Amino acid sequence: MAEHKQEVRVDDMGLAFGKTMIVFTIIGIVMMVVPAIFYFAGIKQYIPLSEVNRSWAGSASEFWQNTKGIQVHGYGWIFNHLLYTDTLSMLGVLLLMMTPLLSMLAAMFKAPNKTYKMLFLVAALEFIVSIMFKTS
Amino acid sequence: MVWSIILFLFTFVIGIISPVSGVGGGVLFVPLATLIFPFHIDFIRGAGLVMAVTSALSSIPYLIKKGLANIKIFAVIAPVMVITSVVGGFIGLKVTSAFPGGKYYIELMLGAIILLVFAVMMLSKKLEFPDVKEEDMDSWAKSLDMRGAWYEPNLGKVVHYNIKNTKISEVIFAIIGFIAGMFGLGAGWANVPVLNMLMGAPIKVATATSMAIITANAPAIGIYLTKGAILPSIVIPSVLGITIGARIGAKVAEVIKPVFVRYLVLAVLLLAGALNVLKGLNGLGII
Repeated sequence: MAEHKQEVRVDDMGLAFGKTMIVFTIIGIVMMVVPAIFYFAGIKQYIPLSEVNRSWAGSASEFWQNTKGIQVHGYGWIFNHLLYTDTLSMLGVLLLMMTPLLSMLAAMFKAPNKTYKMLFLVAALEFIVSIMFKTS
Repeated sequence: MVWSIILFLFTFVIGIISPVSGVGGGVLFVPLATLIFPFHIDFIRGAGLVMAVTSALSSIPYLIKKGLANIKIFAVIAPVMVITSVVGGFIGLKVTSAFPGGKYYIELMLGAIILLVFAVMMLSKKLEFPDVKEEDMDSWAKSLDMRGAWYEPNLGKVVHYNIKNTKISEVIFAIIGFIAGMFGLGAGWANVPVLNMLMGAPIKVATATSMAIITANAPAIGIYLTKGAILPSIVIPSVLGITIGARIGAKVAEVIKPVFVRYLVLAVLLLAGALNVLKGLNGLGII
């Protein structure tokens, strides 16, 4: 059985894609979970859990209006409040969002030919543009 | 805190089912969570998308190592799906906000699409190991060397496969990407049958590669983040549950019999389709 398993060889492009993905997925999950532990413990909360529970039945815009008296447009609510544990944990979500992009870039450098390099480059550029477009 | 624990257990079960069926966690989570939990659908959709992508991210490296997830197929599809899913996301938000009831028409259409896929899979045969010969491969598949192999424990041997119909699949994946973005869900429910029945990927390869393709929807997470529709108290227990569950599910996907995987996919498709149709009809006041 072991001999059969050795016959399966995964190409370098796939391995680079997978290795990059697992590294950044783990980092992203840790970045998301560690501050969240402090958040659930009641430490440095931008929006206290009790307020979240009271307002989560409303839409996102109603939620932000009820809890902070603001409307959220963009990533500013994360980057402007990084000293709070709940907003800090959102950096992990951002990294998880970016992980497929990083994996594609890693795979691009290990691609077996120019066609695959171009395919990954185009997908990566589309990825970046779509995020920048939403930010604006 | 009680809701967070229930969410964790709920998503843990979804995490196990997701890699085995090839259906993204978001597709299972969103319709069921809408029925069970008190959160607004904005937060459920946001959490569902993060879960679908994280579930896929957690499973893919293992599936690549085993030869099940084919990154060559992903590379060909990703440039099309990234752009169409983002376009679909923007148009979807426009439709739901432009007129009352738009959301329910979208849910109804989604349910109809899933039920159509279910019907197609029910009628199809011999999907576990499709026989794609060298002469069946199209010019793109040949020039990009779109082949693969994995060790199949149920057969006790290495199974080799070829890919076909790349060009027409690009068009269909463009439509799937648009639909996935429009409804704010992963697209495993549509990816698997196209990969399996049209491109000729064996069912295990199709379910594994579908997980990679779901990550092409990751930019849509930005839509929810920029709206403030992703909350730690909902997302953290959900992602933890699905991540732990998905690691178990990926191992189950390796040893489980392909026929069983197919039946599981069919059951999930039927459930998701029926729930979305009912939600749409209910929202429109028809039932």
